Amino acid sequence: MAMTRGPLRRTRVLAGLLTLLAAASALAACGTDAQGGGGSGSSASGTIQVWEGYTEVEAKAFAHLVAEYEAQHPGQKVSTLYVNSDDALQKVLTAVRGGSPPDVAYLYGSWAPNIAQISQVVDLTQVVKQPGVNWSDFWAGERAVATVNGKVIGMPALVDNLAVVYNKTLFAKAGLPVPGPDWTWPEFIADAKKLTNASVKQYGTAYVTPANEDTVWHWEALLWEAGGQLLSPDGKKAAFDSAAGLTSLQSLQTMAVTDKSMYLDPSDSTYANLFNSGKIGMLVTGPWDLSNFPNVKYGVQVMPSYPGTSGGHQTISGPDNWVIFNNGSARVSAAEQFLEWLTEQPQDKYFALQTGALPTRQSTATAAGFTQAMNAAQPGVATFITNLGNVQQARPQITQYPKVSEILGTMIVSVLLGKSQPQAALTAAAQQVNQALAGS
Amino acid sequence: MTAGTYARPGERRAGPGRGSGLRKVADSEQFNGWAFVTPGAALIILFWAAPIVWSAVMSFQRNNLLSPSTPFVGLSNYRQMIHDPIVSQAIQHTLVYTALFVPGTMLVGLFLAVAMNRNIRFISVYRTVAYATMAISTIGEAIVFIWLFDPSYGIANYALSWAGLPQQQFLNSPSQALYVIVAMTIWGWTGFAVVVYLSALQGIPQNLLEAAAIDGAGPWRRFRAVTLPLLSPASLFLAVWLTINALQLFDEVYLSTQGGPLNATTVLVYYLYDQAFQQFNFGYASAIAYFLFLVIIVVTVIQFRVGRRFTFYRS
Repeated sequence: MAMTRGPLRRTRVLAGLLTLLAAASALAACGTDAQGGGGSGSSASGTIQVWEGYTEVEAKAFAHLVAEYEAQHPGQKVSTLYVNSDDALQKVLTAVRGGSPPDVAYLYGSWAPNIAQISQVVDLTQVVKQPGVNWSDFWAGERAVATVNGKVIGMPALVDNLAVVYNKTLFAKAGLPVPGPDWTWPEFIADAKKLTNASVKQYGTAYVTPANEDTVWHWEALLWEAGGQLLSPDGKKAAFDSAAGLTSLQSLQTMAVTDKSMYLDPSDSTYANLFNSGKIGMLVTGPWDLSNFPNVKYGVQVMPSYPGTSGGHQTISGPDNWVIFNNGSARVSAAEQFLEWLTEQPQDKYFALQTGALPTRQSTATAAGFTQAMNAAQPGVATFITNLGNVQQARPQITQYPKVSEILGTMIVSVLLGKSQPQAALTAAAQQVNQALAGS
Repeated sequence: MTAGTYARPGERRAGPGRGSGLRKVADSEQFNGWAFVTPGAALIILFWAAPIVWSAVMSFQRNNLLSPSTPFVGLSNYRQMIHDPIVSQAIQHTLVYTALFVPGTMLVGLFLAVAMNRNIRFISVYRTVAYATMAISTIGEAIVFIWLFDPSYGIANYALSWAGLPQQQFLNSPSQALYVIVAMTIWGWTGFAVVVYLSALQGIPQNLLEAAAIDGAGPWRRFRAVTLPLLSPASLFLAVWLTINALQLFDEVYLSTQGGPLNATTVLVYYLYDQAFQQFNFGYASAIAYFLFLVIIVVTVIQFRVGRRFTFYRS
C-alpha cells in the first residue's frame, strides 16, 4: 500500500492495479509459453533467486542460514529478495507472465490450489519421496496444504495453529479457575460472560470481523470441533449446513449477540492492543500474537471441545509453502537442493529458536530441550507446539476456496452482527457455496 | 506545431540537390521533435497505453493469470456485471460516497482557507498543520480513525455519551460504516483543498474587494459576489479532481473495513481488487475497471461542461 499520501495517491493505486493487470497480460503476450526457458534472469547458473517476506529477527536468521548454505555448498549461490508476503502472489504472477519468475518463492498456503494451476510451478511429488527428505516428519497439516490433487507443489515454510490465549489476572479477579486441557465451549462461553464487565469496557473474548479468511478460519476450527465438515468428501457440495454448523454458529451468536461478551474487530487490527491492555479475557489466536502481549500475564490453552461430539480439541493450521518455479533444469535442481537443506531438522530448529516460529518438523518439536528453550524465550509457545498434534485436517484444497471463503465470511459476520439467525445464514450460505462449486 | 511548414534557414541553404540523404532527415524539425519526445512517449506507451489496451483485452477474456488458457468470452464479463448484486451495491456506495465526500471536502477546505487567509500570529503554523493531513500516511490515518470510531473505546462514542446521545456501532454497523469512511477521507483531503483555495484566495486582487466595500457591500456580500466567483476556477479544479479520486476510493476501505461489514463499504475499486487478487477473476475485474473508467470520463466531461457556465477566468 502507498505509505505516503499526495494528491495523486488514489489515482496511483488504481493506476497501479490496472498497470499490474495489464502489464501482466501484456508481457504474457510477449510469449512465455516456453516452459521454463524464459528466465531472462540476471543470475548465472549456480545462482538461485529466492523471494521471501522475512523482516527483523526472521530476516537475520534466514540470512544466516543462506550464508551457511553457501559456505557448505561451494559453487551454489542464493540471492534473496524481500517481497512482502501479502503481495507475493501478485508479484510472482507478474514475473511468471514476464517469463522470469523467481526460482523459489514464499507463498501463503491458502493460495496453493490456485498456484498449482501455474504451469511453471515445479511438481515436487517425486522429490519429497526421497528418503533424505523424510516427508512424513512434517506435520500432517503442512503436508496437506503442500499437496493439491495428489501433487506436491511446495515444501513447508511455516506452520501455526489456533489456541486460546487468556489473561490470568482477569480470570483471578473474576474468581474463575483458569481453563484446563479438557475444557469445553459451554465453559468458554460461560467464562466469557463472567469476564465481561460493561462498566469498565472489558470483554470476555474477541472476534475479527472483516469477513475475510481470518474471520473464516477461526470459525472452521469450531465447525471441526463440533464434528462438522465444510464440504462433502469429493469437495463438490457444501456440508456445513449441519447440526455441527448450527452449534458452532450458535456459540458465536450467544457470545456476540445474547451475552455481548465478544468484542468485534472489523479492521482486524485492534484486538491485540486491547488484550495487551487487559480489556479482553480470552483470545483465539496463533503463536505470532504472543510477542504483542508484554503487558499482561497470559496463559495458553488448547481449543475447547464440544461435549458429545467426536471433534475433540482439534484446531486449524494455516501453513505456508516454499514453491519452486521452473527456470531450466539446472536451476530447478539447485532450488530443490536448497529447499531440502533449508527444511532439514537442524536448520528448522535454528530458525525456530532464533525467531520463535513453530517447528515445521515433528522431530524438531521432540528434540531434547527444544520446547523448554522455546518456551523460555516466549512463554506459552510450548502449548502451541504440542497443539500442532491437534491439527487433523486442512481447509479444502480447491480452486474455488476464495469464493467459498467469501461466502462463509459474510455468513459468520451476519450472525455476529445480529443480522441473521444461524440456521437461515447456514442455509443461504450453503446454497451459494453449492452454486459456486457447480459454477466452475 | 509548425514543423511541417516552417523551413529553417539552414535547410533552405542545403538545397534540393544534396538534401535527399539521411542528413536532411536528421536535420528536419520533424525528426528532432520526435527524437526529443520518444523516450517520454515510449515510457507512456509502455506503462500507460499498453496496460490500458491489455486490460481492455482481458475484459473480454476469462483470465485468472494463473493458467495459460485465456478463452475469449465476448461481453460475458460485462453481462455478468449487470446481474451481480454486489456490483450494483458497489455502484451505489461509490455514488453516495462521492456525493458526500466531494462537497464535504470542498466546504471544509474553503472554510479553513478563508479563516487562514489573513495575517495573524502563527499563521504559517496553522497552514502547515492544515496541510499536514496530506503528509500523514493513509495507514496512520486509518488507524487513528479506527480508534476514534471504535464502538467501545473510541472518542466519538465517548463524546456521544457525554452529550447524552445513544452509543453507535460505527464501523461495525452496515448502515454507518460508509459515513465513517467519508469522514476519514474528508479529513485526509482537507489539506489539499485548503492549499488550492488558499492560493486562489491570495490571487484575488484587493482592489476588487475594496471597490465592493466602497460600494457598500458587507463582508458576506463581498464574499459571495466577489470572492466566490473568483474562486470558481479553483472550485472546478477541486470538484473534478476530488470526484475522480472519490470514484477510485480504495486505500481507506482496504485498511479499515475491507469492504465490510456485509459489503456496506464495498466500493467499485475495492470490489475490483477483491475480484482480481482474492478471487483470481482478472477478466471480470478488468471489465469492472473499464466500466469505472467510462463512468469517470462521462462524469468529468459533464463537470467541465456544466462547470464552465459557473466558472470565471480573469484574463
